Amino acid sequence: MDYQKFRAALILVPIVFFSAYLSVGKYYIPLEHILSLSFPEPFEYTIFFNVRLPRAIEAAVFGACMGICGAALQTTLRNPLVSPYILGISSGSAFGAALAIALLGQGFFFLVQPSAIMFGLGGIFLTLLVSRFRGQLSPISLVLGGIIISALFSGLLSLVQILVDPEKTQTIVAWIIGRLNVVTWDDVTVSVPLALLGIAGLLILRWRIFTLSMGDEEARSLGIHVEKERLLTILLASVATASVVSVTGIIGWVCLISPHITRFIVGSNPRFLLPASISVGASFMLVADLISRTVWTFEIPVGVITTIVGAPLFLYLMRRSMHEWRS
Amino acid sequence: MNGGVEVADLCFSYAEQKILHEITFDVRSGQLVTILGPNGSGKTTLLKCINLLLQPEGSILVDGIDISEISSSELAKKIGYVPQLHTPAFPYRVLDVVVSGRIPYLGLSAPQKEDYELGCRMLAQVGIDHLAEKPYIHLSGGELRLVLLARALVQQSRILLLDEPTSNLDIKNRIVVLKALRGIVEQGIAVMMTEHDPNLASLFSDRVLLMNRGRILRYGRAEEVLSRENIMEVYGIDVEIFRSNGNHYIFPVV
Repeated sequence: MDYQKFRAALILVPIVFFSAYLSVGKYYIPLEHILSLSFPEPFEYTIFFNVRLPRAIEAAVFGACMGICGAALQTTLRNPLVSPYILGISSGSAFGAALAIALLGQGFFFLVQPSAIMFGLGGIFLTLLVSRFRGQLSPISLVLGGIIISALFSGLLSLVQILVDPEKTQTIVAWIIGRLNVVTWDDVTVSVPLALLGIAGLLILRWRIFTLSMGDEEARSLGIHVEKERLLTILLASVATASVVSVTGIIGWVCLISPHITRFIVGSNPRFLLPASISVGASFMLVADLISRTVWTFEIPVGVITTIVGAPLFLYLMRRSMHEWRS
Repeated sequence: MNGGVEVADLCFSYAEQKILHEITFDVRSGQLVTILGPNGSGKTTLLKCINLLLQPEGSILVDGIDISEISSSELAKKIGYVPQLHTPAFPYRVLDVVVSGRIPYLGLSAPQKEDYELGCRMLAQVGIDHLAEKPYIHLSGGELRLVLLARALVQQSRILLLDEPTSNLDIKNRIVVLKALRGIVEQGIAVMMTEHDPNLASLFSDRVLLMNRGRILRYGRAEEVLSRENIMEVYGIDVEIFRSNGNHYIFPVV
């Protein structure tokens, strides 16, 4: 594959979707207005700048983040079924958000996000804690630890949902499904820098992450600090994931499907996989959210779209790539 | 001594149980040393101690430098390792797997054109450059072993450790792998490998290290070490020994 052309495509494709996202909607904004940043109607300016732009940025960053975090974790844990959600981050965040919604009134809604971040990181911390065995963090014990901690938080979440009044339960459910219609510039400024930090860190580490997938002993014999570098990979992915999820809620499947779409396009090539998963994740989310706000008379939460589209798409990719795995 | 490995008083215990006892020997550059011994005699443990995959007591010098005092990437530049078993996690391209041997030199940067060229050269040296673009999960056992060998060569280390490089290979592939190793030894690299077949050990190695229950029983030239008495002592079986064309052949008496 021609590296230059490929790199251009990686940058151009998300930009095309990003522009389409900004233009298309219940209120159509012509592309020339966006490109020249001149809006004849003040109303159009408001929609563009206060509604669509922050939402587009959050969608793109969420997708990018999910793409690379999923790909990096799958690689470092040698398991194509792993995603950031499996390590206790999402269920921790969901519980944190639910707890904040339950305990605080509407006026304190701004505390939901910090609570979600805190419990999301708490979830991964607990997973790491229970997975350590004889001072080692093995891929298999991490996955098992993640499942255990996720189950624990899911139980606690159900408990909260049962105890609070139905109105709050509805808010909690809406938060968990995941949606982008609430995104403001404040959300973007809180979540995007942390997400970009995680993305940049994973990109820098990508060859070492690739080497980790050779197996612990071999990685060690190639000079990798297996425990430390795996931990660093997980922490970068966790911080990035927790920060975007705290704004959007648990939008499902993007983190699992994006790396697989990427593998379908570029293969497992370590040179391309992580960078390309950023573009694929961002594009996937932009398209999914565009569908979520245009296809029906009212808005469908984007988490519903990603799950309904993601599951069959995953099946398709799995069937198509089976021949590659059969040896 | 013109470089190589010097191991002195190496001991290793696992869960309170002593696995290796006071191992002392040295391997010179340009020598192929085969470690022989029954299952569980500590061959693989010894290899893993030498490149610090396990933490032994005692001293290990490589070209006169104590390896416990250097960083892990410096160590990876000095000692290459080929494991007995490699389970592919993803269908990587052969050349990418080989190039991962450059990681100790790369730090955080990506491999450059020179690294890929070196990878191709080393694949050619072990005779499988035609596989460079193939996904490595489709390779045969022998080919996979050669890919891992090429990766170790890309590390450009002075010492190469191989854990049973001929296991699960047919007779032809064993010879292919061992000939490739012989070629590497001729370039002045010290090679240590574990092996089960005394005849292959005798045919291809400069020295044989015979182990029993975590100790070195004999270390020296194959025809001296692999005597009828020594084999009886270590394996508890009777053998007959034939000589032909200067080679030393060992057959079990059944």
